[in-house]
Amino acid sequence: MKFAVLMAYAACFIEPRLAHGQSVTAEAAVTGGYSTDDVTAAAAQVRLFGDVTGGIRFFGEAAWAGRSLSDPHHESDSFNAAYPYTNRVQIIEAYGERMFRPHEGLVGIRAGRFRTPFGIYNASDHAYSGFLRAPLVRYEEYSPLSNNLLEHGADLVVGVPRLMVEAAVGAPGDVGEVRRHSGLDVIVRVQGYYGSFIAGASHMRTPPSKTAFVTGARNHVTGVDLRWTHAGVQLRGEWITGQPFGRSTTTGWYADALIHRTGMGPVTAVARVERLVFGDLRQAPEDYLSRQTVGARVRLGGGLALQVNALHQSGDKEYLPRALDVAVTWSVRKQ
Amino acid sequence: MHGIARAGNTPVRDTVVWLDAPNAPLSPRTDSARVVLDQRNLSFSPHVLVVRVGTTVDFPNNDRVFHNVFSFRDGKRFDLGVYPVGAMRRVLFDQPGLSRIFCNIHPNMAAYVMTVNSAYFARADETGAFTIAGVPAGTYTYHAWRPGATAELTGTWSASDGPLQVVWP
Repeated sequence: MKFAVLMAYAACFIEPRLAHGQSVTAEAAVTGGYSTDDVTAAAAQVRLFGDVTGGIRFFGEAAWAGRSLSDPHHESDSFNAAYPYTNRVQIIEAYGERMFRPHEGLVGIRAGRFRTPFGIYNASDHAYSGFLRAPLVRYEEYSPLSNNLLEHGADLVVGVPRLMVEAAVGAPGDVGEVRRHSGLDVIVRVQGYYGSFIAGASHMRTPPSKTAFVTGARNHVTGVDLRWTHAGVQLRGEWITGQPFGRSTTTGWYADALIHRTGMGPVTAVARVERLVFGDLRQAPEDYLSRQTVGARVRLGGGLALQVNALHQSGDKEYLPRALDVAVTWSVRKQ
Repeated sequence: MHGIARAGNTPVRDTVVWLDAPNAPLSPRTDSARVVLDQRNLSFSPHVLVVRVGTTVDFPNNDRVFHNVFSFRDGKRFDLGVYPVGAMRRVLFDQPGLSRIFCNIHPNMAAYVMTVNSAYFARADETGAFTIAGVPAGTYTYHAWRPGATAELTGTWSASDGPLQVVWP
């Protein structure tokens, strides 16, 4: 907890000294949470981002998070939405990027350490959206894909706003408990939008997890993601299939509803249904993981936000069938 | 017309000042210029925007992440939904008043759009100075607002008074 206080203090007193045309923003967030899974959690993140010379932007984020699980007889993935809870200070992202807008086109180059650009992957999509747990398809223990996957490398986006192709090449730089072997990573993503629809498809070839029973094989993951938004209602989801452990196949999906009508003021209501299947897709229902979540995020003012999730899950006897997660986050920004 | 906004001896940037002149002709500035509230580096830019009633404001996303711009309190109420890098949405500000702008994905993004029923308005720079061009001779009621203020300041001003001093308590 000392580290959380220290980072918040540091962010409050940063006074960037910059030349004309440059800008730096410092941001800090501190979260405390409790789950009826007998989990208490605390987390803190510090971010620095802005413009430097020549149109180059930078982004850096460090995070610390820790959890205590009181009951030794079961597991929990609560509060694991976008950051690892490994009780260590870690650099999450550190990159520079440049965007070009030739005519109506769009070209973006990024280099450094960044989240794996696969599907709906940004921290902001998972850390602040109202859900306190990562989707099952993005939880590192089960899936070929995790919100804690990071790349050391370069990323290129080319296209127009309506249709763009993104390619990233690098090496794994994961931060969670489950990490990949060293080697070459390649991720390709296509994204387009029409009206209120945004659709994407992603494919990744990467070294397998270090927990894989079969080593030497490449991990292949393919996914499709979709968003639709209208009048304060957002529906989104991902379908992912891949091979995290040699030739075994993992397939899963989730569908989210995020409702924020103008009359709801500071409240965003959320709901998620999801499923994760190992191996044979035709297996019995008791052999796959399934979860349903309802909840809300409330902006309390003064930089405070409350998130509440109630969930029901089945398919893994180590996990309690029902849980209630509550978290409060305080964040501050200095420009 | 020139002026300065301050609180004591401290300049107050982003103070919005406008004159009562609802029947003034449209000025070239408000007719032809695109008014943009940019989303860049997880921030809105500018932090405070002042527009005349009937102005359409562009909200481009120039970040590499999605944004979800919305306003739910006073002024213009809207929710633009999520949209990706390079995309843009537009909002017509058709009623006077203050709109508080947020992003529903990024909690530290905030901006203000003050919509005024006047062609004569300005926003103070970092030194607190502001200029309203092309004000015809006469006596005007002025209004001033700044982020965090609980109420507007009002008063009268004419050219013979010299630069307008907006002094926040």
